[in-house]
Formats: sequence, C-alpha cells, structure tokens
Amino acid sequence: MNIRVTGSRRWSGPWNGAPWIWGFAAAALVWLVILAISGQGGGQTVSLALSLAPYLVIVGLGQMLVITAGPGNIDVSVGSVISLAGFVSVAAASATGSAAVGILAGIGVGVLVAAVSAVAILGLSVPPIIATLAAGLVASSITLSMANGFTAVPDPGLRSALNLRPAGVPLLALAIAVLTVLVVALLRRTVYGRSLIAVGQSRRAAERAGIPVARIIGSTYLLSGALAGLTGALLAAYIAPSADLGTRYLLDSVAVVVIGGTLISGGRAVPVGVWGAALFFILLDGLVNLVGWSTAAQNLLKGGLVLFVLFLAGGGDRTASLFRRRSRTATATTTSTGDDTDG
Amino acid sequence: MHVDNLPAGGTAPPETDTGPAARPPVVTARGVTKAYGRTRALTGVDLEVRAGEVLGLVGHNGAGKSTLMRVLAGLEACDTGTVLVHGSRASAEDFRSVRMAYQETSLCPDLTVAENMWVSSRHCLPRLGWRRAASDAVRRRLDEMFPGHGVSPRDRVEDLSLARRQMVEIARACLVDRLDLLILDEPTESLGPDAARSLYAYVRRLTETGTAVLLISHRIREVLSVADRVAVLRDGAVTAERPAAGLGEPDVLELMGAHVATPAATGTRAAAGGAAARETVAELRGATGPGLREVTLRVGRGEVVGLAGLAGQGQQEVLERLWRPVRRDTTVKVTRAYVPGDRQRSGVLPLWSVGDNLIVTALRGIARRGLRRPAEERAVVGDWVKRLAIRGGAEAGITELSGGNQQKVIVARAFASPAGLVLLDDPFRGVDVHTKTDLYRLIREEAAKGRSIVWYSSENAEMAHCDRVYVFRAGRIVAELTGEEISEERIIAVSFNEDGGND
Repeated sequence: MNIRVTGSRRWSGPWNGAPWIWGFAAAALVWLVILAISGQGGGQTVSLALSLAPYLVIVGLGQMLVITAGPGNIDVSVGSVISLAGFVSVAAASATGSAAVGILAGIGVGVLVAAVSAVAILGLSVPPIIATLAAGLVASSITLSMANGFTAVPDPGLRSALNLRPAGVPLLALAIAVLTVLVVALLRRTVYGRSLIAVGQSRRAAERAGIPVARIIGSTYLLSGALAGLTGALLAAYIAPSADLGTRYLLDSVAVVVIGGTLISGGRAVPVGVWGAALFFILLDGLVNLVGWSTAAQNLLKGGLVLFVLFLAGGGDRTASLFRRRSRTATATTTSTGDDTDG
Repeated sequence: MHVDNLPAGGTAPPETDTGPAARPPVVTARGVTKAYGRTRALTGVDLEVRAGEVLGLVGHNGAGKSTLMRVLAGLEACDTGTVLVHGSRASAEDFRSVRMAYQETSLCPDLTVAENMWVSSRHCLPRLGWRRAASDAVRRRLDEMFPGHGVSPRDRVEDLSLARRQMVEIARACLVDRLDLLILDEPTESLGPDAARSLYAYVRRLTETGTAVLLISHRIREVLSVADRVAVLRDGAVTAERPAAGLGEPDVLELMGAHVATPAATGTRAAAGGAAARETVAELRGATGPGLREVTLRVGRGEVVGLAGLAGQGQQEVLERLWRPVRRDTTVKVTRAYVPGDRQRSGVLPLWSVGDNLIVTALRGIARRGLRRPAEERAVVGDWVKRLAIRGGAEAGITELSGGNQQKVIVARAFASPAGLVLLDDPFRGVDVHTKTDLYRLIREEAAKGRSIVWYSSENAEMAHCDRVYVFRAGRIVAELTGEEISEERIIAVSFNEDGGND
C-alpha cells in the first residue's frame, strides 16, 4: 500500500497541467448528450445544474481540504452534519425570525460535530475514518430525535433568495464561485494553506519543517464541518429539512474531490476541479433521469465512475512514474522502487 | 537452489596465483552513454568488474555514479554502448546474479524484514513455507554480516532505525542463490563503525569465493582500505582507474577534480575561552528518559555545539528534547529549526519545487497576519539558491535534484528561517566533499551572526568544526571537549574508553 502511495506522489504528474479540466470536459459531454436526447432547452439545463451544483461544491470544498491533509484523512461525517445542520438552522431561524442566525447556527453545529472528530483524531489518535464516522453517528441520532414532530418551516426570504436566477444564473452559484476563489486564495496565499499542503505531502517532513501539524489538521476538520454545516443550512432552506437530506452528499463529496483532480493521497488540492466534477454529477443525474434509470442504477454508475477515475489517476501516475524513475538519478526514487526488478 | 549456501558453497575460488588483471570480468561496460532529456548522465563509460575483486567507485554527486550502477545492475538500458555479463550480451536472466544494496533503502516500510526478503528474492525461496525460509535465511545472513545486529525477521521495517534498515538492505542484496556482483551504494553512511568493520570483513570473505564487489562511497579512506582497484567517475565518464595500493586520499580527491580542502575550521572557530561568557539559549538539566541518563548540557548564543560518539548513544534524543522542549528539565529560549538526516522520510516535500521546499519554514516569519508575501519569499529563495549554488534553480522540482542538492535545500530551509537555534541531525550523510565544505562554511558564518547550532554527526571528523563537543555513550555524556581538544582521535578514544563512563 505504502509503495503505491509514495510511488504516485511526485512533484509533477500527467494531471499537473490542468487537472480540473476533466470534470468540465465530462460535464460538457453529458450536457451534449442531454441536448441530443431531449433536443431542447440547453440553456435551461445549464441553469438548473448551476442552481443544484453549489450545494455539492460547498461540502466538496471542505472534503477536499481534509483529503489534502494527507493519507488517511477523510471526513465521513459530512452527510450526517448536513442533515443535522438543516434541522438546527431551520429551528433557529424560525425561533429568532432571522435567516442569518439560522445559517450561523447550521455552521456552528457543523463545527461542533467536527470538533468531536478532531479531538478523537488528535487527542486519542483514532483513525480519521472511524472518528468522523462516530461523530457522524452522534449527529444522526440527534437528527432523528429532532425530526420527531418537527414543525418549523424554512425561512421564506432565504428560500426565495436561493431561487433567484437573474439572467438564468443562480445567485447562489455566483456566491459559491466567490467562495471557491476564496478557497483558492486560502491555499495559495496563506500560511495555513501552504502548511496544509506541506502536511499532506509528508507529515514527518512538515513536522520537522516547524509546521504545527496537529493544529493544521484540527482546523482543517473544523473548516470541513463548517462548510458541511453551511451546506445543510442552505439545502434545508432550499428543499426542506429531512433526516436523509445529506445522505447522498457523503459519497458525492468524496467523488467530486477525486474527479476534480485533487490527489487522493494528499498534498495537492484543486478547488476549481470540484466545480467541474459537481456540474458533471448534477448533469449526470439529469441524464439518468431523462433516460429513466432507477436511483440504484444511478449510484452504481457513480461508484463505477469514481473507481474509474481513481484507476486513471493512480494508473496514469504510476505509468508516468515508471518513466520518470528511469529518467532520474536514483536518489529521489529508490524509496518507492518496487524492488522486484532486481530480484 | 537455496539462498543460504553462500558464501560457503559459492563458485570455486579463483586460482590464487593469477593477478587480479587475469581474472575474468563479471560485468563489462563498453562505451556506455545515457541521457535523460538534456542531461547527459553518462558520456561514455568503459569499466570492467572482475571476479573476486573489490572495485571502489568514487566521484562527486552528479558525476553519474547512480546511473552507472543502475546500468550495471541491469535496471536501466543504456542509450549506446554495451553491458556484458560474463562476456556475453546480458539478458534479464543474467542480471539476476547482480545485486545492489541501495543507500536510500529499497525496502517496503510496511512489511516485515522476512516479507521484504520474499519481495526481492522470491525466485530462490520455496513456494510453501517461504516465510520460515526467508526468516531463517535473513537471520543467518545478518548474523554472518553484522554480529549483534538486533534485528528480528518479524520486525516491521518502518520501526527499525536507519542503521538497522541499512543492515537489512545489505543482507537483502546478498540473499540470492548465485551472487556474481554485489553493488554497495554508500553502505556505511548510516552504519556505525563496528557494523562497517563487520561489513567489510564479510566483503572480504565474499570476494574470496569469487564474487565481485562494487563499492560506491564518499568516504575515500574507507574505499582505499577495502578496494583492490579504484575507478574515478567524473562528468559521466571513468577518468582514472588505479590500483588502490599506494594511493592516498589526496591523490583520489585530485583525480576527482576537487581542490583538496584542508579543514579550515580552526581558523574560523571562535575563541574557546569566550564560550563560558556566552548567554545560554538552551540547556538540559539532568535530563533522564528513554535513551538518556542524567544529561546536562548548555548551548550558548552563537556557539556550535557538537554531539559526538557512536551512533545511537543518545544524541538524537537530545535533539528531540531541544526540538520539542516539553519537559521541565529542558529550557530553550529561542525559536528552533531542524535539519533532518533522513531526507527522504523527514525532509523532502516531494510534490513541490525547490523554492517551495526551501521557503516553507521561513514563510511563517515573512507572512503578515497569516498572508504570504510572495515578493519577499522570492527574494529569500533567490538568495539561498545563489548562496548554496543549488543546481536547477528555484523552479526545478525537488525530486529532480541529486541527493546532495536536495540536502542543500533542506539545510537552506532551516537557515532561511529566523530560528535562533538550529538542530542538525547528522545531515551530511551521503553528501559529496564539495557540498560538505560549502555547508561547513555556512554553519560557521551563521554562528558568527549569533545563531546557535547543535550538531549531531556520526562522522567524527566533522566535529572539528564545532566550538564544543559533548561525547555520548549509552545515553550519558562521557566527555566535553573544547576548542583544540576536539579531534577525531580524541573523540574515538573517549567513545570507546570503557573507564570513562560508569556502566
């Protein structure tokens, strides 16, 4: 396992030029197919996709940060956090009459759940997948007890704002585009972002370079929780709070990160790619509905796609690394040498 | 067809009356060239390794040693020229009897020692019960090579110290049913002197059975004492081949094209008397813990303090304490930076460029309110790339660089930061003489600017560049040497002197 991971981690790979392009290319392809099948409303399809994709992008960006923190890091609590944050934000908004308070409450719940994960990961050295799974379980049991006899309705003002589409472009999509730019800036221009990427490449090296590894990893989980909470708050206002509001977002958030070109082994984040992959997924849903497939078939298709992309990314990187290994003095690569060559 | 019939049942020893020149060549390279893109790594190598001899191969980092080894071991095809094994064009099968022990070990960190043996020697292990066979074979081989090695076949490689990993790596290379040529790449860089001696004794026994050994090392004295012949590689070609007998270290350095560097340490070393007057920036007071017993030491401002002694006697534990001063017996008053010795595991950030790698520690100090300032960062990176003459420049990928240049980047990373105390964890292993001289000068310059440096080195000669040296044995400080007292002989004498300590 370790061999493969080190083997695929090198400075430049075949996806390094524009790894985000594939998501957009796939989205465009699906869009063309939809256009060909339905024969009408190309612009409308795009507009609809743009109003659904932002939710996936927000949670995907959080997941991307966590995955970038290096091997083993993943946040599987996002689904439960979205559901819980949906209820909490709707309850808070209807109690105070302010949509802003509702959104903040949703974010707060996300941070709280993530704090539980972070304490377990950093303090108790629980593997992240287990820690976030446990935190997610806690969140979903709270959700279930809240869902019983829940009567509050989402803030109508927020709902109509989320439905605003001046010139066919949803307002939310623009807002989340700005958020994406902020995440890009966070990764490129801040000490935190640089530290996160360094930790993702090699935790030991980052620690020796004086980076406060625990603090970076902890804040990354909190960020992911906050973004998942925000997704839940917005989604609950857009649709309606329900116990399985966030269920599909667990797989999808990981999938869009990977398809977007972010390295699954950490150390390279591609925020723009999350957009391309999210649009691809939303359009794919549309296409599958158009053709009339069942939800089960949809999930099968998506799971297969993720595996396919991982295969391409891993396989591509590995073949490339074989070439590169031959094209470099041995020092840099011998740690990762599959040593059966000289045996 | 078994792995453990070596060296006893190897090929018949060559007739002792024939000189080395008359022995048949095992591997022959003729006019070998190899280019990677624009870089011409080998420009035309002619080299013969003959049965039963130890051939030393020396040259600067970047001279093409690594590439040549890989070509000789059949891991890479050459662009032009030929590689012959036993006088005929080599096929993959022929290369099976050519084995290589890497400097940066090729072991899988997640597997146990025995499992690693299977990875590289499975064609000579039984299908069933291979684990037992591999365990027995590797234990026997390790016992032969490094008595008292302390490695169990069931240990996970990741949990082994660098020295033990190196032992396993060398044993791995020797585990084969038929060994014609053994290539050792910097085998002793992470071994202690004892293990190095055992290794060379084994090499001698191996050559008596007709196996050829190709030894690559920066430690020229070591090469001269072990090798029968020495080949000098320079700019991708063998520029000299001499019998080792009668050759001195300065001769070899001259052949390598180095202007012979005399240790200029004494001139630059600060007056020894000043040490006591310096302000203390870090100290350990009677520190006791795993690997440490009652260690008391202090570091003054602008002082270069050496931690010497045999490998693994508590020096790294001291560095660890100073790096993370969490216990009450440790005080560090200034910010710290760390230069790791294990550069692959704890140094290099592989996805980044030279510049990114260099600035990662300093950027914290340069940034304002958590926001980076790229222009200032670029200026710092540019300065350091120029100052240490890092090949490839700031934009090159770190993994594209040779080992020595990578190490320069890691050293620059620490010194580019504003840290008042720089901890060096044996960072100059496997670095060529030229680079080392540059880095020694850098250390003295930075100390003169008021930085304190704590320097652990397994190479005692390096300690001549320190103001003060603590010699460690079994987790204790057994001697403190100052100024003129510091010499390789003195350190060795103290580290081995059983009366000096009290265990």
